[in-house]
Amino acid sequence: MEQRTSSPYPRVDRVVLAIVGVVLVIGTGLFMWSDRAHDWRYYQLQFKQMVAEKFGDDKAAVVPGGVQQVWAADLSRADRCITCHQAVNYKGFEQAEHPYRTHPVEPLKQHPLEDYGCTTCHGGQGWAIDTAAAHGEVAHWEEPLLSRALGETYTLAGNKNALMQMNCNTCHRYDRQTAGAGAINLAKSLVNEKGCRACHVINGFGGTIGPDLTNVGEKPPEQYELSRLSGQRTAFAWHVAHFKDPRALSEGTVMPNFNLSTEQAQALSMLMLSWRRNDVPARYVAGAPRTDPRSADELKAEAAMKTGPGGWFVQTGCFVCHSISALGVKSPAQIGPDLSTAVEDVQSRFGMTLDAFLANPTGTMSVVLSRQIILTPEQKQVAIQKLREAFAEYQRQRGTPVTSISSK
Amino acid sequence: MRLPTLLRTKPEAPGVHAEPFWSFRPQSDREAGDAIVSNFALHWFPAKISKASMAWNYSFWLGTISAALFFLTILSGLPLLFLYVPSIERAYQSVKDIEFVITFGSWIRAVHRISAHLMVIVVALHLVRVFLTGAYKNGVGRGQQREINWVIGVVMFLATLFLSFTGYLLPWDQLAFWAVTVGTNIASSIPMIGPGVRELLIGGRNIDQATLIRFYVLHVVFLPGLLGVLFAYHMWRVRKDGGLARADADAESVLESSRATEVVPTKTYTLLGVARGTAPTVTTRTLEAANTTVNAVPDLTRRALIATLGTIAVVSIMSVFIASPLEEPANALITPNPAKAPWYFLWLQEIVTDTTIRIGSFTLNGAFVGGVILPGLLVGLMTFWPWIDRSTHLAAGVWLPRDRRRQNLVFLLVVLFVLALTYVGMELRGPYWNFYWPWEPWPDIPGRI
Repeated sequence: MEQRTSSPYPRVDRVVLAIVGVVLVIGTGLFMWSDRAHDWRYYQLQFKQMVAEKFGDDKAAVVPGGVQQVWAADLSRADRCITCHQAVNYKGFEQAEHPYRTHPVEPLKQHPLEDYGCTTCHGGQGWAIDTAAAHGEVAHWEEPLLSRALGETYTLAGNKNALMQMNCNTCHRYDRQTAGAGAINLAKSLVNEKGCRACHVINGFGGTIGPDLTNVGEKPPEQYELSRLSGQRTAFAWHVAHFKDPRALSEGTVMPNFNLSTEQAQALSMLMLSWRRNDVPARYVAGAPRTDPRSADELKAEAAMKTGPGGWFVQTGCFVCHSISALGVKSPAQIGPDLSTAVEDVQSRFGMTLDAFLANPTGTMSVVLSRQIILTPEQKQVAIQKLREAFAEYQRQRGTPVTSISSK
Repeated sequence: MRLPTLLRTKPEAPGVHAEPFWSFRPQSDREAGDAIVSNFALHWFPAKISKASMAWNYSFWLGTISAALFFLTILSGLPLLFLYVPSIERAYQSVKDIEFVITFGSWIRAVHRISAHLMVIVVALHLVRVFLTGAYKNGVGRGQQREINWVIGVVMFLATLFLSFTGYLLPWDQLAFWAVTVGTNIASSIPMIGPGVRELLIGGRNIDQATLIRFYVLHVVFLPGLLGVLFAYHMWRVRKDGGLARADADAESVLESSRATEVVPTKTYTLLGVARGTAPTVTTRTLEAANTTVNAVPDLTRRALIATLGTIAVVSIMSVFIASPLEEPANALITPNPAKAPWYFLWLQEIVTDTTIRIGSFTLNGAFVGGVILPGLLVGLMTFWPWIDRSTHLAAGVWLPRDRRRQNLVFLLVVLFVLALTYVGMELRGPYWNFYWPWEPWPDIPGRI
């Protein structure tokens, strides 16, 4: 038999091939291990033991294992939170540590788990099964778990757990008051009290000086001007700082500083972020109001103002900020001074007559009169005439003699 | 791996292969050759291969590694085909499920992604190696047409880039959406036909469902098929051209030294009827010169196994530790800042920026220069370089020969230029495509809460 051509390679190459084989085996071991190394296996083991201790081995044996999920089909949510948080529907662990704690029963009565899932209310990333990813504490996930811990990073002045109320208000935005959502309720009352609608459209009506706030929660974080913000660089932090001192965050803004407390500013910021487009299926919000509800008394009072002696100011929109108490017009917001004394007041504030001021307004009124309430010269004459009448009425009510201002 | 003697019968006639199986440890040259003939998977190897072309430091086995990576992308792509849903409503969610709950899902996806990225790198390195060694040049064999294989190689390189690029869109996240936006906008800057080309590519005016299904079909059917066919042809041409150009360089020195000595009877091997003529690896002259060749089985097969399994091992381990990114769902209304093309196109994006000239209100768009003219010129030059290169056949299969010093220098400078711009695009371009030195921090990207 002919010989085989001699080769110098086998000596080294066989060793190299053997090493490659070993590395391949190690690599295979590594990826098998990495696929199994998940925290949920530990949590499930622990929970099983807890059930065994408390209710016996029979109960523990039927605790489901493996990846678990709530599939809320209507909301397109696959929430795998219950893979670790197995006790959610398991009575008897109300006082246990997370993730072994039973969910409070009351909210689940109105919001069944199988319809709502978990992340609809709590935030976080339902798809994930590892703690950091599931709690949304990772890059490229903008809906973190709205937890007490997150509230503490913002040093919330009120309820540290309040951030979750933002998600309540996605559906409950037209409620005047929502049970259990104290911060959002506070913010809603502030919106009415401070008259935000004077400048901002909210749910379809309001002024046009400021931006429309109806879906302000949709504004991408990238579009916030954060250069003047110190501390946390988030949309929420921006809103808090902006509510506390608008001018410090946004140069040249005409938004007044309402001297809000930290708690108020934080509550309002939560409300802002909660105002998002609402894609909830109709049956989830059956019976809930679809617009801002107004009580019969409010509607009656407004109608009375419109037809009363100060009706012109109501129709023109001045009453949004200004009361004209002498004519029975009461502003819901009372941001500006009472116009009953405008004839006198303008002189002392701006050093010019009412006629001159309305012709060439300064400050906030220059913005309002150029952008929101645009008056023709004839309308301005009407305004001056009406304000004189209001001042006369004011003096009559106060019992002081009528004097002609223009001759003063 | 010896087979039991029962199965080992004597050949009854020449050309009749008595062994039903092939031997991984042949005892004779005949047995080694039989392996090639009797095993389908080995039919593309020659019976013998020149030692010079086996050298690690000649080819670095980059072609084999590219093929191994291609094989890995196909292998890892098959399970992904069952799991991924090419719909704009479902794609992102299906990738999330692959990442989080499919058994080995995140590893399979990582293998697919990492081998695809490595394939771009290794195919490019293979191209650089072939250029620097002048391996597209014909040597002393008759009927060699290595230029054709070079052109096929260039097309395969472009197919690799396009394969990677079409895969980029499929997760339907922000990274995908905006990388493809940047990429297809560059295409639209071609004068006259640009907008039409973009429309054809993305199936409309906006990147939407039509784009996704187009890229998907290109990615999973058309381009892999094209690359597979070209790969087969590429290998067939290597055989037909007498193996690697290094073998020619080696044969020349053998020819030189043996010319004066005895004349051996020449015989032309027509291995499997493929290799025509007297290409150096198959002439008796070189075959019979002692110590210039080894048997393909098992020496070449063992090396091929090392390169392939080694590649698989490295990719497998990398895939455990390097997570595949998945950004926010695609959103046409929010542009991430900065929006970047895939990394292998970043040098073009960088040139596009640098050649965009603004004089007052007049803007000369750099996309045409940087995105069309320059890469078009480079690809064109590269394709036709074998016919431009005027060096002698002695420069074939030799690292950095004196003959080709100037062209190699220019080629290396172009490669360096591309690498430098890629680095700038990858690492030094921050928000608004502003320039940041490595030690300068980028502004934070704000979050929602």
